[in-house]
Amino acid sequence: MIRKLNITIRFVFFLWCILRCAACQKERITINSSASEAFYVANDGASMRVLVQGNTAGNTFILVIHGGPGISSYFYNTRYISQNLGDKYAMVYWDQRNAGASQGNANGRNLNLDQMVEDLTKVITVLKFRYGKDMSLFLLGHSFGGLIAADFITRPGNQEMVRGLINADGSHNYPLNDTLTRQMLLSFGKDQISKRRNVDDWETIVSYCNTHTGNFNLEESQQLEKYATEAEGLIDSVKKINIPSLLLKYSIADKYPLTAILSNLLYSEDSDFNKELASAQFSSALKTVTIPVLLLWGKYDFTCPPALGEDFYNHISSAEKRIVISPSSGHNIMLQDERLFCDEVNSFVLKYR
Amino acid sequence: MLKSSTIILTLLATTLCKAQTDSVNHISERQLILKLAYNSSLIYPGISAGIEFPILHISTQVMENGKIVRNYTKSRLLSGKINWYHHPEFHDNVYLTTEWIMRRTGYKGFISEFSMGPGFSRTFLSGTTYAVDDNGNVTVIKLSGYSYALITIGCGFGYDYWCRKQLPYEIYARMNLISMFPYNSTVSFRPVFEAGIRYIPGLVKSRNRK
Repeated sequence: MIRKLNITIRFVFFLWCILRCAACQKERITINSSASEAFYVANDGASMRVLVQGNTAGNTFILVIHGGPGISSYFYNTRYISQNLGDKYAMVYWDQRNAGASQGNANGRNLNLDQMVEDLTKVITVLKFRYGKDMSLFLLGHSFGGLIAADFITRPGNQEMVRGLINADGSHNYPLNDTLTRQMLLSFGKDQISKRRNVDDWETIVSYCNTHTGNFNLEESQQLEKYATEAEGLIDSVKKINIPSLLLKYSIADKYPLTAILSNLLYSEDSDFNKELASAQFSSALKTVTIPVLLLWGKYDFTCPPALGEDFYNHISSAEKRIVISPSSGHNIMLQDERLFCDEVNSFVLKYR
Repeated sequence: MLKSSTIILTLLATTLCKAQTDSVNHISERQLILKLAYNSSLIYPGISAGIEFPILHISTQVMENGKIVRNYTKSRLLSGKINWYHHPEFHDNVYLTTEWIMRRTGYKGFISEFSMGPGFSRTFLSGTTYAVDDNGNVTVIKLSGYSYALITIGCGFGYDYWCRKQLPYEIYARMNLISMFPYNSTVSFRPVFEAGIRYIPGLVKSRNRK
């Protein structure tokens, strides 16, 4: 009797689980001023999470292409951005493959730039399928996301899919990026040493830059990036980002899959994909770009120096282009100078949507 | 050399163990254990249900100068469980585990245990999943998700109500760490908290026979 009861209970439980899961996957499309819905786009071994949050009724969407590789879009979804951009537009947070809440099995072989551009194209296709083909869509690329955005918009036909591009501290040319990072570290380092500020730290950085002068390999490139992050922390006027505090503030409310985010980050940081990226550059292809472009940079961004933004600005053919340098920001302008970031994005999107 | 003479009296047996005291006999009659638990991964809730088969009991009485100074039971069990948790906007995870459990029950009923074993996980993505073909046609994938191999390891403590109150129940709480692979070509770890109750039907029969 107990055996039969036990089997029945387990069967009912299992059936309930399946039905519960099926209910979660039911298509739900919300058109209002405070939507919040997650869906997935499956492509070549990865199911990538897309969170649409904010005003979907306005029919204007800003698709965030996060940095990394391997950083998640969760970190861009702050209260300030929700309140100052999400109230007017729908913010679209896409977790790239092998990042954030994206899921899959043995899919590491598909981790490359071509694949990511294809993923982005499919995410845009699904967005238009859900919310209408006539939507006004803007891309917002940050850091490594700037490379994906540059690759995407320089491919034939892709500019027609979006109304404009916002490049925030993005990198479109990795070899140039390394050169400019070294130059900036050297010039700032010498200046800071002469002013007797953090002398020991700067001497280590300057010494490294003096002994590594060009044609950087992956290790050198990664070391320069590490020093760039350290250097930003040495500048007192730059707002510091407190990661533990961000996690405490958002991880429960936004339902972060913390351990998956960490596994994905560690895998992506260490993958062979980074070797391919070391030589990626789109400066010469940027002349084909004619859509409106907004460039937002931090004055103290050593990771992707402001000169990289100027290179982007000088190479594109867009008639409508603007570059803004934040005087108090480093590599993460959307977190370090939120007000300027949101004001500039607002004006740009309002003008070109 | 030990100064005090320590005599270990017992025994080792299977589910029909040949023990020498009444208390040991009661334990030996345990055959099948049913369990039901709240199963929470990080903070995301779920349920776990399963059975445990006792494989081995070692009931030990430690004596000094002819007096029993300590009395405990070590058990080895094989467990089969079905587990589920719901992480909104991420996934629902239904996973089956088989575990080898090493459990120690003190004479007052306090339980400590360690377990590990393999399993199988099937996730269901928490959201509609779309696929786009080369012509730009969009379709919805039904019951989308992934299958993973899984290893679980955990430890916990509990209380056996049989020892003092002759009730066929145990309550327990434990922390498990499940690792799923290949997860995006790597391993995904998740801590899982489990708290629940075990029911031992064999003990009811034993009590009724008296």
